[in-house]
Amino acid sequence: MKNLLKKDGVQSFVASLICILLGLLIGYIVLLFINPTGAGAAILEVLKNFFHYSKPSLQLKNFGNTLVKTAPLLMCSLSVLFCYKVGLFNIGAAGQYVAGACAGIYCALKLGWGWLPCLIAAVVCGAVFGVAVGLLKAYRNVNEVISGIMLNWIGLYLANMLLSGVKEVASPYTLHIKTEAAKALLPSLGLDKLFNGNQYITLAIPLSVLLAVAISVILNKTKFGYELKATGLNRNAAKYCGMAEKRNIIVSLAIGGALAGLGGALLYLTDYEQWLCTGSSVPGMGFNGIAAAFLGGLNPIGTIFSSYFIQHITSGGAFVDKTMYCSQISDLISSIIIYLCGFVLFIKYAMNKVIASRENKAAAAVKSDDVPAKDADETKGGEA
Amino acid sequence: MAENYAIEMLHITKRFAGIVANDDITLQLKKGEIHALLGENGAGKSTLMSVLFGLYHAEEGEIRKDGKTVEIRDPNDANDLGIGMVHQHFKLVECFTVLDNIIMGVEPNKFGFLQKKDARQKVLALSEKYGLKVDPDALIEDITVGMQQRTEILKMLYRDNEILIFDEPTAVLTPQEIEELMHIMKNLAAEGKSILFISHKLNEIMEVADRCTVLRKGKYIGTVNVKDTTMEELSAMMVGRNVSFHVEKAPAKPGEVLLDVSHVTVASKAHKNNAVKDVSLKVRAGEVVCIAGIDGNGQSEFIHGLTGLEPLVSGSITLLGKDISHLPIRKRNVSGMGHIPEDRHKHGLVLDYSLENNLVLERYFEPEFTSKAGFLKKKNIRAYAETLIDRYDVRSGQGPVTPARSMSGGNQQKAIIAREIDRNPRLLVAVQPTRGLDVGAIENIHKRIIDHRDAGNGVLLVSLELDEVMDVSDRILVMYEGEIVGELDPKQTTVEELGLYMAGAKRDEVSAE
Amino acid sequence: MLLLIQYTLIFASVLILVALGGCISEHSGVINLGLEGIMVMGAMGGALMLRGLPSTTSPFVIVLLTLCAAILVGVVYSLLLAVACISFKADQTIVGTAVNMLGVAAATVIVKALNTAANPDDVSSAVQYAGTKKAFLLKIGGFEFNWFMLIALVALACVYVLLYKTRFGLRLMACGEHPQAAASVGVNVFKMRYAGVLISGALGGLGGICYILAGTSEWRFENGVAGFGFLALAVMIFGQWKPQRIALAALLFGFFRALSNVYFGFDWLVSANIPGAVYNMMPYIISLLVLAFTSKRSRAPKAEGIPYDKGMR
Repeated sequence: MKNLLKKDGVQSFVASLICILLGLLIGYIVLLFINPTGAGAAILEVLKNFFHYSKPSLQLKNFGNTLVKTAPLLMCSLSVLFCYKVGLFNIGAAGQYVAGACAGIYCALKLGWGWLPCLIAAVVCGAVFGVAVGLLKAYRNVNEVISGIMLNWIGLYLANMLLSGVKEVASPYTLHIKTEAAKALLPSLGLDKLFNGNQYITLAIPLSVLLAVAISVILNKTKFGYELKATGLNRNAAKYCGMAEKRNIIVSLAIGGALAGLGGALLYLTDYEQWLCTGSSVPGMGFNGIAAAFLGGLNPIGTIFSSYFIQHITSGGAFVDKTMYCSQISDLISSIIIYLCGFVLFIKYAMNKVIASRENKAAAAVKSDDVPAKDADETKGGEA
Repeated sequence: MAENYAIEMLHITKRFAGIVANDDITLQLKKGEIHALLGENGAGKSTLMSVLFGLYHAEEGEIRKDGKTVEIRDPNDANDLGIGMVHQHFKLVECFTVLDNIIMGVEPNKFGFLQKKDARQKVLALSEKYGLKVDPDALIEDITVGMQQRTEILKMLYRDNEILIFDEPTAVLTPQEIEELMHIMKNLAAEGKSILFISHKLNEIMEVADRCTVLRKGKYIGTVNVKDTTMEELSAMMVGRNVSFHVEKAPAKPGEVLLDVSHVTVASKAHKNNAVKDVSLKVRAGEVVCIAGIDGNGQSEFIHGLTGLEPLVSGSITLLGKDISHLPIRKRNVSGMGHIPEDRHKHGLVLDYSLENNLVLERYFEPEFTSKAGFLKKKNIRAYAETLIDRYDVRSGQGPVTPARSMSGGNQQKAIIAREIDRNPRLLVAVQPTRGLDVGAIENIHKRIIDHRDAGNGVLLVSLELDEVMDVSDRILVMYEGEIVGELDPKQTTVEELGLYMAGAKRDEVSAE
Repeated sequence: MLLLIQYTLIFASVLILVALGGCISEHSGVINLGLEGIMVMGAMGGALMLRGLPSTTSPFVIVLLTLCAAILVGVVYSLLLAVACISFKADQTIVGTAVNMLGVAAATVIVKALNTAANPDDVSSAVQYAGTKKAFLLKIGGFEFNWFMLIALVALACVYVLLYKTRFGLRLMACGEHPQAAASVGVNVFKMRYAGVLISGALGGLGGICYILAGTSEWRFENGVAGFGFLALAVMIFGQWKPQRIALAALLFGFFRALSNVYFGFDWLVSANIPGAVYNMMPYIISLLVLAFTSKRSRAPKAEGIPYDKGMR
């Protein structure tokens, strides 16, 4: 047991579990305050999501809907995760997602392109937004969080402006891709039949999972991943041993941007949603991606599950009893979970401390000249 | 009470997670004396002072002020007891003025509003009285290191501190500034202040201190009257044996020129002047050339320029006949340069990587370790790491998969040296390769360096330790204020002469040989 | 034209308040990315107070109680950020992001719950305060003066004095620049950072209520505050963490924001055919450019974003 707990992966998993349970608990308490009679039932509804329906056919269809939105979320969390491995906090994933969505929709509706070129356009636009952050970071030393935030809003207003040209006359939403640009719809590859004919099920879902696996391979098995992680862990050492750290920053943000941008297109090219051209806030998908990345223990495979979980409870919010609560309680719960994710390092630290103190008692006699190097790496600040 | 002590630390013991940093240490500071605290890096001096200053809490022992037991829980308590400290790394806010830094913590105020007028008068009066020249309105970031230190001293005086601690105050100063500081310290003691002077520089201790307490590896060794002792005796107490550890080595057989540095100038990050000015030097095959000098005279910047961490302002560098002046770091490394960096945590290691990943840090991209498709060959990396661990005796908890962070400093350094020397670079640049290590590790590393030389390679060593400079090198170049001011033969010169060059008291016109 | 000035001033007031909040928090060493969420919560506190007060209450009392409610909620809510970032050394970016999302979600849930409780058919997240809102306004000819313009000015003066003329300010800024130095002279870094974040919570809450009162007479909380918290961050950067400059930056960015609202009132702007989105984008683009050209000599507090650890020296 002790040895198992020492493994970083196990620790991450336990920490994430703690976050989820605490998040649900706090959510439950909030519900109790609002209306004590239905709180338990409401939490269950959120957790049940599509199991709300008793008919398997409806269950499947709604399971499909959850998956449709999981795919873009997974892409955003991969984007955040990938950049984080290089020591960059890609809060700009939200804007890159918007850029990708905008490019996909624009190319579909305005230019009448097919789905593949639309996806490529989305990838390119997302990457451009990422590279902008990367260039500013590498050559002008601009904090990537700040520039990312600025670009999120630039992206939002840019998308609103461009997509106003392809919106419905009577509403602020963009035209339906299904009716106006059918060839830009993502192919379903026959997967829709698995989900009781859910028309929104497309290649987006398998593609996003495949990419998660690919990211995992890149990070753990390749020279490129070795370099990226070294740069993230100690930028000075990476520079010292001749890694092109500036190039790595830019490349990783380009890839992160591409992933998030692809995520945008993977949602909107299913026609599951239409873009709201008067929106005044950046879509939360990118921010949820941050949550999923950290909840998944910053492991690409872990994020597949954490992304699904976050989307699962978000969708589940729709099923709560509207006479007592509103659907936003699931947003509330997921944002509490994100908040708690900020404590993951602390939870791990606490676990390690417990383990270490036990071990110390066992091995009290340590030679004084064998002092472990405790100095925290200056670039990373105090973690101890 | 037999003696009139200003402060006494009796039988102090402080442990960190299994390590005893201070083991039953006693230190008694008399009123009006300058008391030196001597010990090598890691001897426990800083820990002891942190205990006195309330930053750490000792598990055992007591502290007495004027004979009465006191408890010091935080720096405020220390301050209330009249204890002040000039930290090795100054505790100054760069974008504040000198005056703001001095008054911070004890600001004169009315209802929380600052009243700086009286404070300024007091600061000016103090600086006059003790000869501490400062401009109260200058920003810290704009003034010299010496003036920053004087600000720190004024901070203590402004608080009417009676017990002044100086933590290795001379490391960052120019010789003139050191002279000035010694003078100031004597002045302060004459005015009745009690001074604790932490140092590992024997000549300074001999010059100013009245008594000296020696620590070694966390243990109390003894306290002596300085005028009744000799440098040799203090040195023996500090290191534990009468070492003048001579490195066994054959005479150098200099061969062809490997490195030719010509008129190199490098900018400084700390100030607007150039840190390295028009430096020329050569390193030949089969010799160890040492750049000696007091810390902060441009050695680090020169090495950064040489290895490519910083760009050159002007000049050129030729390695094995190839101009590398503007090549990126990777190209320099594969052209035959190895670099043992000054700061192993900042540059030398990725602390959160495993040992094996650190051991291939300079070679991971070679075909041996990376396939054509860009995948790492983990088996080869493991095998190579195991070879190096074996050959260079790198000790760690779990072998190749040990996180570098959990290894001891000496073994971390051994890992770096293994990595750099095993690449068999024609030119090895070693910057303070033995910093902070114990004697056994130092000997091991010196032997590796000499072996590398004897294999027909060139070594450029940068060192602050005089013993190392004298024993390991075949040729000494002294760097002072960014220039090479002397070239010496270690067999024909003395430490005293070397010291004169390092202090800027003597200089030759040096040719670029 | 008067409308443009009016909008510029009111938006600038919002931005000044919130950016000053961000500025104080950063000077203490904590990057407060959660300003957006704090604004929403503060706005909720103020709005609920406005709705709850009978419109017969004297205007002065209305203003005072509303401000107090907004400040109180803002401060309490900012505790979330303070506890996580200062006591638990959590990553300030994650926590800030979470605080933003939580702000909108919590405000929506709370307001909806209150609405539904009052009237089971009401499932909206809107709070109406048409009657009491008038207390904040003063008609001067065609110009609608809003007390918040004065409040922002007062806040500006207060923050300036606080930072540069008081003991508190000196210590606060030391904690953001070099916390170890501050600690070595006995300043309690944790306390100062808490103070910094909580003050930013107060100012953020004020800014929030100011923002929603600027426009309509009801507010839907699902909409959050449309990125004003982030815009305030841009203002703070453009203002280089100095109150005087923040005021100027706020005026400039407020002007752009106002233009996007009222540009159709100007024939020559309409004929230029620039979409409103461009005006909305301008502040962010300007901030990015400023960052790109000044970051090498940025005056950002040096220790911001780095959790303070007693053991580190």
